[in-house]
Amino acid sequence: MIEYLVFAAVFGLLLLGLHRKVIARVQMRPGPPVWQEILHALKFSFKSTWVPKTASSLLYVGVVLVGIGIWSAALFVVLAGESILILFAIYMLHKVVEHGFGLSSGSPYGKFGGVRSVISAASEIPLFVTIAAIYFFTDSLMLRDIIAYQAVHGPLLLIAPPAAIAMYLVILSKLPYGPFSIVESKELVSGYKTEHFGVWRAGISVIDGTKTFVLLFAFVAIFIGAVPFWAALVIMTILLVTLSFVCAVTPMLSPFDSVTVQGIITLLMVGYAAVLWWVVP
Amino acid sequence: MKRTTVTSGLAISALVIAAAWGLLAAGLIPLWAAETAIVIAFPVLVIFLALRWRAPGGEEDIPFIGY
Repeated sequence: MIEYLVFAAVFGLLLLGLHRKVIARVQMRPGPPVWQEILHALKFSFKSTWVPKTASSLLYVGVVLVGIGIWSAALFVVLAGESILILFAIYMLHKVVEHGFGLSSGSPYGKFGGVRSVISAASEIPLFVTIAAIYFFTDSLMLRDIIAYQAVHGPLLLIAPPAAIAMYLVILSKLPYGPFSIVESKELVSGYKTEHFGVWRAGISVIDGTKTFVLLFAFVAIFIGAVPFWAALVIMTILLVTLSFVCAVTPMLSPFDSVTVQGIITLLMVGYAAVLWWVVP
Repeated sequence: MKRTTVTSGLAISALVIAAAWGLLAAGLIPLWAAETAIVIAFPVLVIFLALRWRAPGGEEDIPFIGY
């Protein structure tokens, strides 16, 4: 099982490297090599490391451990075909982790990043409507039941495309350099990550890699269904490249615009769920 | 953090993961128990492994705290 975790972290970092590469190529830049994020994680792990004087030591270090732990748990939830409610509860917990990162160091950049992570909780609301829309069709929120439903009726991507689009936007809001990436925008240096360096930043890389893998793998399982593992990896890569194109051609929104756009998406999704409630027997 | 503390933490987390793996393979513990042990031990393993091989030196500082 530890091999799954290591694979997820490394493959997720590779996907994030590909993300940077695609964005760079679309913007007519050479970009870093695809394995750059893996090199980053290794580089940070070898650096001198300490806890800043202004930091709350327990929170500053503990939040890194919690971050790795929750996404490790999320991976096991997806692999075991358990409830997507648990998966999305973990997704919500990640907001608390981001907030903890930002507030633990005592730096204003980190604090603003932490505050923005609370504002960007608006991106989670479409997720709940996605869950509701899926439930109308499958009568279950267990991932194994959702996969079984798709084996009979076909992919939910074709049955409930608005729900798939909503989750696609949720994943987009979690990727770096995207229109909704307000928590780590450049006017805040690195946002909530600013004062976590060295070994702590290597830990953040593991969190980011595992998180990217879990979210994309969950999308494939929820909206496409059971496919061979190699095919899931190919679909995840294609999905990520499409997300990278969106990030490459879309400017980062201001925090309030970001929340407004996500609020509009939520309203549209609530309307869709209401229609389903009437139509689906 | 002292080097002996880091080494001990690394060894304990590695042992927990190895034990969970072995016990699950032998059918002595259920899957959820092994997963719980790994979810707790894996973050410790990652951080303590990096703390074990990080470059020495450096002391706590005051980051930028505003003008």
